[in-house]
Amino acid sequence: MQDLSLHLTDIIENSARANCDLISIVIGIDETQNKLSFEIIDNGVGMDEETLSSAQNPFYTSKFERQKKIGLGIPLFKENAERCNGSFLMESSIGKGTRLYAEFEHNHIDRMPLGSIEDTFLSSIIGHSDINFFIKLFHISQNKKEKVFILDTREIKSELGDIPITWPDVVIYLKDTLNEGIKKIELEEF
Amino acid sequence: MKTLADLKAIREKAQHEMKLRNSNVRIKVIVGMGTSGIAAGAKDVMKTFIDEVATRALIDVVVSQTGEKGLSSMEPVVDVIEEGKPRYCYGNINSEIAKRIVVEHIVNGNPVKEFLISTE
Repeated sequence: MQDLSLHLTDIIENSARANCDLISIVIGIDETQNKLSFEIIDNGVGMDEETLSSAQNPFYTSKFERQKKIGLGIPLFKENAERCNGSFLMESSIGKGTRLYAEFEHNHIDRMPLGSIEDTFLSSIIGHSDINFFIKLFHISQNKKEKVFILDTREIKSELGDIPITWPDVVIYLKDTLNEGIKKIELEEF
Repeated sequence: MKTLADLKAIREKAQHEMKLRNSNVRIKVIVGMGTSGIAAGAKDVMKTFIDEVATRALIDVVVSQTGEKGLSSMEPVVDVIEEGKPRYCYGNINSEIAKRIVVEHIVNGNPVKEFLISTE
């Protein structure tokens, strides 16, 4: 994985596979704490304790039909966070859903760039049009000023009525909204 | 800045278009978005399909994503499914090839043969 947006795509895909109908994603930079954090919560099927701890093991996969019994998505993300003086936490309960939290030291030399998270969000929203997404991005600067961007597809869907969220003009709207929002709160560092 | 009011205008325009054109789903494009797919570039491929379908206003085409299907060595993998036709599975796709699939296969009905893995 070359940037964090690819990890994010991967984690969202896990949630989507857990039969959830809402994925909440909070990503933010807190310069006062020198932190970059990711929180992804879904209301899917959840995991029991054993599966939860296995999920962090690269030699585990939940896909039984598979010949190669490996699953690198979560272990790679975890390793990347820990390599950057960060932390990684996964909580889950059967029937309720799963919460994943990863934190990176923001200016750590090994921290991967964020990458184009706007593309990750757009792909996930369009690619899983039956799932709702609540996206909150924040940036707290050194002088403690916080900038926030929120996108909630439930609001958009209710505004659209019978028009699908995958409608071409809606896709362009979403793309512009995400680009503007991310630019406004200066989440891109390059 | 985009607002929810812009959506209202989009909705009205879309409702009008829906009456004029058939917007039933004709073709489904499914991009494999498992860990190995993502590592091989599936995210850019997905983005290209979404962009191309939106800018060409192909209202009868739906782009979606799924997990891995066990073809890791041929990732990124894309399925093009059209009702009443075989399921076309493409492998080793990148953005350029994705654009060709949109133009040649989805718009003009000619599958891009050199990147087909299977037709079932």
